[in-house]
Amino acid sequence: MIKVLFFGPIADRMQMRETQLEFTRGMTMQDAIAHFSVQHPSAFSIVAFIAVNQTQIHDKQMVLHDNDEIAFMAKYAGG
Amino acid sequence: MSKAVRIQAEDFSQDDEIKELKGSSKRMGGIGTFLGCARDFSEGRDVSEISFDAYGSMALLEMNKLRSDAIAKFGLLDARIIHRIGTVNGGDNIVFIAAGAEHRVAAMEACRWMIDELKQRVPIWKKETTPEGESWVVPHP
Repeated sequence: MIKVLFFGPIADRMQMRETQLEFTRGMTMQDAIAHFSVQHPSAFSIVAFIAVNQTQIHDKQMVLHDNDEIAFMAKYAGG
Repeated sequence: MSKAVRIQAEDFSQDDEIKELKGSSKRMGGIGTFLGCARDFSEGRDVSEISFDAYGSMALLEMNKLRSDAIAKFGLLDARIIHRIGTVNGGDNIVFIAAGAEHRVAAMEACRWMIDELKQRVPIWKKETTPEGESWVVPHP
């Protein structure tokens, strides 16, 4: 399983902070995005950053691994 | 001694943080600090409170990396970064950054660099409560 996290404005639009995605061999980040964005287009319209295991990634073709933790995040607004 | 990088709900003391920073080296000749506070007015509206959300584990990793990067980039002797989460009211403290160096220029430039980088790199979000309702803050320079 892949742990999927949402925070701030995206969590509000998703109406959840955490869910799971069934892992399949060869699955990429683009597959994960497609899975959620079809059901939650409003939330995914404000995704600005993506992280895998607490590290920001830019390559949506990145292959995911079982037990990965991924996060979909809006633009940061700390400070 | 408290950790130099923290995310916490409770308020912090600038005096305590500076005391700990100074205690790390007697070669320190300059300390630059930034204190971010909650405003009770934003975008033409009264703000009654601000709520912070964070990806805690990643935010701590990024803040620690930010501190290390600043120490290396500006030759600092030490640095501290504390950010609050949860709910704060107008006038409350939000974030404190302190940079200690042998001389003032490095301390002040590093402090400015750290708060600018924090806003770009650290996964924290804030929501303002106004008479019209709640709204997530859109980042601005």
